[in-house]
Amino acid sequence: MSDLLETLFLSKIYQSPLVLASGVLGLTADSMRRVLEAGAGAVTTKSFGLEPRKGHACPVILPYHSGLLNAVGLSNPGVDEMVKEIKKLHQESKGGIFASVFGKTPEDFGEVTKKACEATPDLIEVNVSCPNVASEFGAPFGADEFSVANITRIVKKAAGDVPISIKLTIHCPSIEKMARVCEENGADALTAINTVGPGMLIDTGVMKPILANKVGGVSGPAIFPLALKAVWEICANSSLPIIATGGVRTADEALQMIMAGATMVSIGSGIYYKDIEIFTHINQDLTAWMEARHIHSLETIRGAALE
Amino acid sequence: MKTFPVIDIKHHSAEIKSIYFKQIEPDIYPGQFFNVWLPGVDEKPFSISDVFQGIMEITVKAVGPFTRALVAVERGDFIGLRGPFGTHFTFHHHALLVGGGMGIVPLRYLARMLRQQGFHFEILLGARCEKEIPFQNDFSEWAPTTFVTEDGSLGYQGQVTEYIHEKIRESKLSFIYSAGPEAMLIRVMEEAKKAGLNYEISFERYMKCGIGICGQCVVNGSGIRLCKEGPVLSRNMAETVTEWGIPHRDATGKRKV
Ligand SMILES: Cc1cc2nc3c(=O)[nH]c(=O)nc-3n(C[C@H](O)[C@H](O)[C@H](O)COP(=O)(O)OP(=O)(O)OC[C@H]3O[C@@H](n4cnc5c(N)ncnc54)[C@H](O)[C@@H]3O)c2cc1C
Ligand SMILES: Cc1cc2nc3c(=O)[nH]c(=O)nc-3n(C[C@H](O)[C@H](O)[C@H](O)COP(=O)(O)O)c2cc1C
Ligand code: FES
Repeated sequence: MSDLLETLFLSKIYQSPLVLASGVLGLTADSMRRVLEAGAGAVTTKSFGLEPRKGHACPVILPYHSGLLNAVGLSNPGVDEMVKEIKKLHQESKGGIFASVFGKTPEDFGEVTKKACEATPDLIEVNVSCPNVASEFGAPFGADEFSVANITRIVKKAAGDVPISIKLTIHCPSIEKMARVCEENGADALTAINTVGPGMLIDTGVMKPILANKVGGVSGPAIFPLALKAVWEICANSSLPIIATGGVRTADEALQMIMAGATMVSIGSGIYYKDIEIFTHINQDLTAWMEARHIHSLETIRGAALE
Repeated sequence: MKTFPVIDIKHHSAEIKSIYFKQIEPDIYPGQFFNVWLPGVDEKPFSISDVFQGIMEITVKAVGPFTRALVAVERGDFIGLRGPFGTHFTFHHHALLVGGGMGIVPLRYLARMLRQQGFHFEILLGARCEKEIPFQNDFSEWAPTTFVTEDGSLGYQGQVTEYIHEKIRESKLSFIYSAGPEAMLIRVMEEAKKAGLNYEISFERYMKCGIGICGQCVVNGSGIRLCKEGPVLSRNMAETVTEWGIPHRDATGKRKV
């Protein structure tokens, strides 16, 4: 890989600005290593909590013509198992590892973070915005400024030297205000956005919602313009580095995110459309685009669309 | 995902049934699977056991809550199907098909295809008892078939793996296809290696999405996804897997101990 794509993010240099988004192929070290080998600069683990969770009954993931619907329900093997996988991945790969954590209560977030940091991830990503466990957890914390401020402070304290990023949802009164709340309470970075909705699909044969959870977060191409606008708004109002997430499938879309001010660009649903090689292909296309314009660093175009 | 009406049902035993649908996709190959959705219950993976004259078939053994509900469906019920997913068996001359338990199911459609291509092949099938071996007539009609049961109720008494070596040598076979319990697959791979033969095996793990994104079915080693780069693995792929015979991951992703 050419070093044109080297990206400085929170005082570490990554080989590529591309990141694997949380929840996709992020359960085991070998699975994440494969994504790093395909060209991702960093991988984000599946969000994990203190205890193992089975998640919802299947179907949990449903493609439709414009994107995916998912209600996995935060299934995960628990922090102890994930710490082992992160340690293993650290030994086997130089790529970045972001640990995504969630909790049932603000205190849980702190405890999971403390344990996760035993594996020295490069970043703790704080999932305050999963829309798929509302029946169990109530409305996502991410909708409420007071909760987000509180969780940010707790996680920041628990994380010690490891930087933290708060993962935002567009379902809050004002995402720019939420970004400032995170910044003021100690966040080092922001990830935007989580899935949108939730939405629903009904089978007309049996006349019932198809997802076992009935509703699920929408991701993929359908949400790209929503994610891009959210990133643009956040970057116009905050100086924190951003991991842009939502519907990216091509180098052109990754560039749009960077021009809106993103530092890293993460990809989840894109793997459904273009498989794991999506990282290889976007890296190649980004490099070709830069070479054609004699651009030596993505830094020179970052936020170009903000003016 | 769409739902389709069940057009017929066949009982093999109290626990094993075949369920028939109109063929929903033009290209379906042996070894591939469908995610089968029972509205209000769950969605789980099942191998295709036959495609013939525009009709496709899955064959299910009741072993738990979902499969018990699935064998209870009736003609006319609407059932969701997504697929076909995953890799499939490729066609080779002079092969031995080794099936154990419900691993017999995908080999049934493979046997039909091999016969259609006019290939020579032989079959070795094992299960606990006679009742657990569906499609006995088809197999016996299509190729020289040896049955092995643990209780001796059909064919030889014992384990299929005891007969692989002999079969390969006697019939000068040069390729092995296998599906079934993991302990059996491990023996098959050992035998194939000893005999210097190539093989394809169908290898199963807990699955959720079926489309290569949830990560549930990833195996240790090269990190391959069994719903996408599997369930049928070539010898080269199988040799990259480092978790043979260790406890599987469950719905949480944690290994059972
Ligand atoms: C690619 C593939 C093809 C299969 N083909 C067939 C087939 O043709 N016929 C057949 O009868 N069975 C087949 N199975 C197995 C079938 O999916 C399980 O028997 C079924 O999911 C069990 O569900 P349950 O609720 O009845 O039992 P449970 O009590 O939940 O489980 C019984 C066993 O099935 C396994 N299992 C449960 N859920 C899953 C899951 N989501 N994915 C994979 N394994 C699971 C469990 O690990 C356990 O070993 C196949 C499995 C895979 C992965
Ligand atoms: C199957 C699936 C599972 C997901 N699980 C998580 C999760 O555990 N934690 C999280 O923060 N985001 C999760 N997400 C959201 C993604 O990380 C991402 O924010 C969102 O899907 C938008 O990006 P995309 O369009 O590239 O997928 C999940 C998304 C999908 C499709
Ligand atoms: S079942 Fe989801 S990746 Fe294979």
